[in-house]
Parts: sequence; structure tokens; C-alpha cells
Amino acid sequence: MGEPFRQMMETRPARGLPNWRGLWTLYAKEVRRFIKIFGQTLLAPVVTTLLFLTVFAVAFGGGRMVAGIPYVQFLTPGLIMMSILQNAFSNTSTSLIQMKLNENIVDTLMPPISAFEYATAFILSGATRGIMVAVGVGGALSFVEPVGIHNIGLILFYGCAAALMMSTIGLITGIWAEKFDHISTVTNFIILPLSFLSGTFFSIERFTPLLQSFSHVNPFFYLIDGFRYGFTGHADGSLEIGIALVTVIDVALVTVCYLMLRSGYKLKE
Amino acid sequence: MPEFGPNGIMGGVTRPRQGQWNSLGLWSLYWREVKRFFKIYLQTFVAPVVTALLFLSIFNFAFEGDGRSMGNVPFTEFLVPGLSLMALLTASFAGTSFSIMFEKLVETIVDSLMPPLSPFEHTAGYTLAATTRGLLVGLAVILGMSIFVPVQIHSWPFILFHAFAAALALSLLGLITSIWAEKVDHVASITNFVIMPLSFLSGTFYSIKYLPDTFQIVAQFNPFFYMIDGFRYGFLGHADGSLVTGIVVMVVLVIVLWAFCQYLFACGYKLKS
Repeated sequence: MGEPFRQMMETRPARGLPNWRGLWTLYAKEVRRFIKIFGQTLLAPVVTTLLFLTVFAVAFGGGRMVAGIPYVQFLTPGLIMMSILQNAFSNTSTSLIQMKLNENIVDTLMPPISAFEYATAFILSGATRGIMVAVGVGGALSFVEPVGIHNIGLILFYGCAAALMMSTIGLITGIWAEKFDHISTVTNFIILPLSFLSGTFFSIERFTPLLQSFSHVNPFFYLIDGFRYGFTGHADGSLEIGIALVTVIDVALVTVCYLMLRSGYKLKE
Repeated sequence: MPEFGPNGIMGGVTRPRQGQWNSLGLWSLYWREVKRFFKIYLQTFVAPVVTALLFLSIFNFAFEGDGRSMGNVPFTEFLVPGLSLMALLTASFAGTSFSIMFEKLVETIVDSLMPPLSPFEHTAGYTLAATTRGLLVGLAVILGMSIFVPVQIHSWPFILFHAFAAALALSLLGLITSIWAEKVDHVASITNFVIMPLSFLSGTFYSIKYLPDTFQIVAQFNPFFYMIDGFRYGFLGHADGSLVTGIVVMVVLVIVLWAFCQYLFACGYKLKS
């Protein structure tokens, strides 16, 4: 057997073992993709978030208190979380749809990478972008308004859980979508409203009782609320329910995503 | 009944004689662009309305409870003109900024450049189509918000003039961006780092009287401020800046941008080079 052929056969380890190199390569490819257009993927979200802060805080903040804390301190964690949600989602969803539209998706489906490795690489790359943007936004915002840290463990848990959740939802959307329009529809009519209305900008105490009870089953609300608790020490909802709900949803979504990839739904048909 | 000649229908007469308008060509370019917007109406018309309503509800939940007002107007009523003009600005800019850049990317630009259209007709076709989109989006946003907030009209001429001038100015800016841009990234940068900040910070959400003095002076030189201020005057009957200056600034801006676009088409910058 010729040397090149043997090398080719050796790209996937023996059955049952994970293909670490394949997973890493796919992850690195996805991360390089968004770093290459960092102006759009990292810088723009930071600028947009700063604009939101300026508009809400500088123009209206003057001495306002929300739930016992200054409004800017209340707003900052919400804005960081909003940028995680939107960017993690947008990374996996746009990446998939672009590959489908350019018809080069076969290049990522052909290599000997299992459904599980495929899901892991994509979800982690989206989560990486969400967290990178969050660090950028947090860094920029800390120049404007230093925010104390109450519980770093919860910040990390909710930050990572949110990035994973949205990255997975983005991947599912990307697998399902057939054109760019589908992605924009989900972004504009589901992700944007949910991330805007789940307590980023205001305490849900402002809601009518009906909307408040809806918030208590809205995972976005728990993500924002728990994340904010990590900074300010104040939560509107229950932290235990939040952690349990977010964990269950994350596991469920990753499972759905894995099953979709394994069945080849809309990718290998 | 068109005549059939050796060069196909109308005997190859695709352009009227020198000095006359190619109104059929202009209309075709305009209509093609408008149809393009309508084909993706969810993104181009419904999404901006939903986003504007989201902003309205956020501000409502976050601030209305305080009985907050801007000047003498309840805050939500103050927001309506600002939000609809912001949607109009974004839609007009997006209307042109993606068109030519996208045609360059998929290499169909030659189909738009080959027909016998003058620089004026090219400029007009693209710009007026995006202006149409901007005005329709602005109208849709106002109608959507009027369900929740009472909308009063103070002066129709001011509303129409500022809406039309703002849509035209942003369409022209979009066209210039589109001619210059070589990839999506370039257009996105201008959108994210120039248009978004200017339309966010020029008094959409607040009266500039709430800003520090330095920023108030800066606003006097910001055309976006005059667009929003004059437009809002048409609704509320109150302006922060000078209305006459606003009108002059808008007219001059549109003329200069239009002339520049026509010049870019005439010399073929990044299009025919």
C-alpha cells in the first residue's frame, strides 16, 4: 500500500475513538472564519452595545435606581448578556447557511468527523465568539462604569451556558434554513424580541402579572437575571430554578442538534 | 405596436435620441430594484417595524412608569417620530448600499452598466428605489406605532420634506458606499461604525438638551440631527435646532451627494475600471 494512501486512511482513529484532530481542525477553521472578519463579528457588537449604553444610561440614567441599584450598574450585565446571546447565535447560523449557499458544505461533511464531533466543534466555536464579544463589551463598559463582581462562579456559569445555548440554537437554525431569509426571520422575530424583552433593559417588576408569569418560564430571563446576580447580587427570579432550567435546556438542545446531524437532516439528503 | 427591425424588437432603438431622457430604462432599473425589496419583504418591511416596536416597548417598560417626558410631550409620543425616522434612514441606506456591492460580488453588475443609461439615470434609478423603500418603511413604522401611541400631526410639509430629503440623502450615501465597497465587510463597516452611531446619537431617543454642552455644539454640524429634529417638528411642533438651517443643510446635502454619485457613475470609479 502506497505511503500517501496509508496516511489518508489514518486520518480517523480506530472505531470508537474520538477524532481529536478533526474536531480541533473544524473548530479552528470556524474560529478563524469569524476572526478574519473581526470588524463585523467582534468590533461591531462592542460598538453597538456601547451605543445602547450611551442612549439608555447617559441620556436617561442620571441618578435613576432600578431594583435598588443605580441604573447603569443594572444595565451593564444585561447588555453583556445580550451580546453573548446574539453573537453566539449569529456565528453558527450564518456559518452554516453560507456554506450551504456557497455549496462548499460538502468540504466539512466529507472528512471523517462524527456527528458528535461536528456538533462539538461548531457549538464551541459559536460559544467562543459569544464569550469573546462579552469580554470585549465588558472591558469597554468597565471604562465607562466600573461594575463590581459579586459571584464569579455564577457569572462564568451563566455566561458559558448562554453561549452554548445560543450557539446550539444557531446551529439548529443553520441546519434547517435553506436561504438567508430564514436566518434573518429567526433573528428578527425570535432572538431579537426575546433578548430585548427578557429583562436586559428593565426589571421585570415593570411587567403586568401575566407577562411576569411568562418570564418565569423564559430561559432568556433566567440567563440575564442570573448573570446580573453574579455582578450585582440582586436577582428577580430564583437562581436554583434558573440553573436547573438552563442546564436542562442546554442538554436537550445539544441532544436535538446531535440527532439532527446524525440523521443528516437537510445536510445529506 | 412595436416595429421589428434587424436588431430585434424596436429595431435596436433602446435609447432615445441624444439629449432626451431614457425614461423606459430609468423606470426599468427603478422597478427592478423595488421588486427586489418586495421579494424579501419580511426582511425589508416587516423586520424594521418589529424592531421599532421593540424599542418602543423597551423604553415604555423602562421609563414610562416614571412619568417621564421630553419637553412637554410624554416620552413615548416623543419617540414615535425619532424611531420611525431611524427606521427610514437605515432602510434607505440598506436599500442602495447592498445593491451594487452585491451585483459586483455575483458579477452581474455588467447587466446594469451595459444598458444605455446615463449617469443621471443610473443615479436616479437606484436612489429613488431605495428612497421608496425608506419612505414605505417609515410609513409602516408610524402606522404600527399609532396602534399603541397617539400620533399627532403638526405640519404635513415638514414631515414630508424631511422624510423625503432624509431618505434621498441616505440612499445617496448608500449608493456611494456601494460603488466604493468591494465586499460585504466594507458595507457592514460603514453601517455599523458610521450610520448606526449617527442615527442612534443624533437625538432619536432624547432631546439634545439633555446632552453636555460640547455635544450640543457638535450636533449643530450633524446633518442627521437636522433630519430628526425637523421631522419631529412636523409631528410635535417643537424643534431643538433652527428649522431654516435644517432645510438649507438638507437641500445642500442632497444636491452635493447627488452630484458626487453622478460623477462616480460618469467616471466609472470601481465600476468600469
